[in-house]
Amino acid sequence: MKKIVTIALLICIFTLNLTACSDSSNKEEENVLEKNWEAITEDAKGTTVNFYGWGGDQKTNSWLDNFVARRLKEEYDITFNRIPMNIDDILNKLLGEKQVEVKNGTIDIVWINGENFYTAKKNDLLFGSFTDKLPNFKKYIDGDSLEVKYDFGFKVEGYEAPYGKAQFVMIYDKAKLNMVPRNHGELLEMAKNNPGKFTYPAPPDFTGSAFVRNIIYDIVGHEKFLNMEADKEKIEREIAPAIEFLKELKPYLWKEGKTYPSTNAQLDNMYSDNEVLMTMSYNPNYVSAKIQTGEFPKTSNALIFDKGTIGNTHFLTIPYNAPNLDSALVAINFILSVEAQSSKYDPENWGDLPVLDNRKLNEEEKKIFENVELGKGTIAQDILLDHRVPEMPANIIPIIEEIWQENIPVEGE
Amino acid sequence: MKKNNYIFKITMYLLIFLLISPLVILVIWSFVRIWPWPNLLPRDYGLRGFKHVLDPSTKSLRVLFLSVGLSSLVTLCTLLISIPAAKALGVYEFRGKGFFKMLILAPIIVPPVAVAMGIHIAFIKLGLANTFLGVVFVHLVPCIPYAVRILTNVFEIIGESMEMQARVLGASPLQTFIKITLPLMAPGLLSAGSLVFIVSLSQYFLTFLIGGGRIITLPMLMFPYIQSGDRMMASTYSIIFIVTALIMLLIMERIVRNYYKEQNYFYI
Repeated sequence: MKKIVTIALLICIFTLNLTACSDSSNKEEENVLEKNWEAITEDAKGTTVNFYGWGGDQKTNSWLDNFVARRLKEEYDITFNRIPMNIDDILNKLLGEKQVEVKNGTIDIVWINGENFYTAKKNDLLFGSFTDKLPNFKKYIDGDSLEVKYDFGFKVEGYEAPYGKAQFVMIYDKAKLNMVPRNHGELLEMAKNNPGKFTYPAPPDFTGSAFVRNIIYDIVGHEKFLNMEADKEKIEREIAPAIEFLKELKPYLWKEGKTYPSTNAQLDNMYSDNEVLMTMSYNPNYVSAKIQTGEFPKTSNALIFDKGTIGNTHFLTIPYNAPNLDSALVAINFILSVEAQSSKYDPENWGDLPVLDNRKLNEEEKKIFENVELGKGTIAQDILLDHRVPEMPANIIPIIEEIWQENIPVEGE
Repeated sequence: MKKNNYIFKITMYLLIFLLISPLVILVIWSFVRIWPWPNLLPRDYGLRGFKHVLDPSTKSLRVLFLSVGLSSLVTLCTLLISIPAAKALGVYEFRGKGFFKMLILAPIIVPPVAVAMGIHIAFIKLGLANTFLGVVFVHLVPCIPYAVRILTNVFEIIGESMEMQARVLGASPLQTFIKITLPLMAPGLLSAGSLVFIVSLSQYFLTFLIGGGRIITLPMLMFPYIQSGDRMMASTYSIIFIVTALIMLLIMERIVRNYYKEQNYFYI
């Protein structure tokens, strides 16, 4: 009896194995990049595209689920399937699949940037250079701009297509704060006047780390970091004045700087609960989205430093084993259209900055963007772009986070 | 005597309050837009959470039904596997029994992350990754220890004497199992089943690793919101999660109770 069961189980497993194998071998091995665009859209018809990315923002999720999914269905007969997954998990999954050389994966599009892109590209987890294939990329995007060519200092080489732009802003409540800090000195003054009412998320939180970098830029300037090699001693020397400043700021922070919120989400909630006077975000229109959902007070406002704040671009890429290349290309191309980018720019929907090159738009298209009504508390796009400084190379960032860890939280304890 | 009674009552109500109040706050938060200090009550309410969940384009309800189906199947499989194992551990004497009892708890003691990566690669090779069946299999790993543990204790209590009696009187093994063993262990099955169902329903890491995003369950929709600190969305999903679990537990209990009411021998 036992033997029969064992044999039956084994047979089950082997048949599963075989069917799985035959699945992947049946896949047509044609090169998508050699097809013309009409053939690609034709082949994408009636298929499903799986979009993997961070799913922690309800507005972003709704925009993808409603607008993108609906329009792709109407226009190209593609079913858009959003799967919420953190980028670390996506990379782990891809690494696991790479290890056993799975040819037919599950992910068609990944939302990515920065060091994650670097990791993915270094480990050959990506499909390859595809942006030249996209009509909208050629038509609307300035392929020579630094923000498209480089992602946190790494060459993009067409392995990912820009999706949106972000820029660091700080958020305060007009009703509670009269003096708006325009540089690091005024920030310190503000903290001194309101002890215990300001803090920032502890790096390596994404936003907290950006805040620290922004302070560094404000104090020692940004030019020298762009080509800096990842040498800890040298970096330590360069950023010493900024670290000194953070030490000076520390006693006036929330809980006297003995502890920091570990995520930006906590800081947002503390701001919303009136525990601190300021929060920060890497999305400049975040404040209006949060006012709309009612989480932030209506008098909330974004601010940037006079010397500028860090901006970066987030991208979409295709993994090496994407099962549905045709519709991945069509979907990414659609997201680069004027229609999608302007809809995404509308704070009602998401409020993410567009990536299209203004010079490449005709008058009518420019109008569409100008007509998007920016929500409450946000800063106009041209002011943001005038005060935009580039990110540091991704391999310097962990070193700065390390230096922060060694110097700031431990001091005096 | 009377004083004792008061103390008992106060303690009881206090305990109930301590258990209920976090749930009440959860319910409130699912409607709260903003609740700043020092307001005692929220300043503004909204329905964003429930609107998002009930919006067909987010597929939340479909995911909910899939989760319930998946966890029910896992519960069934776990119980089927655990009954023989628990009987062996509870009733029979054999060498190394203590060791096996410990070993069966290993999946709870060893962190799942450590083994999950290996399981993932094995499942990719077997073609089980990204399939419903694969997710069911991998859910068995954290579920079986609980079921075996509970059912072992049940078997230790009921022993084998009743079954032997039935066999002596001429019942076949199958008859004995259905007419004697099952009714005897029904309460144990119920508690094991409930626990396993909840363990399976709350699996996050294993589900997405093995399911690869093809199989989406409720926690996979909920966790991003908890991480990003969207308290309204997180509370909404939590409430749906809790209510689902409660309903399923009630249904399970009702089924077992009805079954044994009709032809009751042992169920109390």
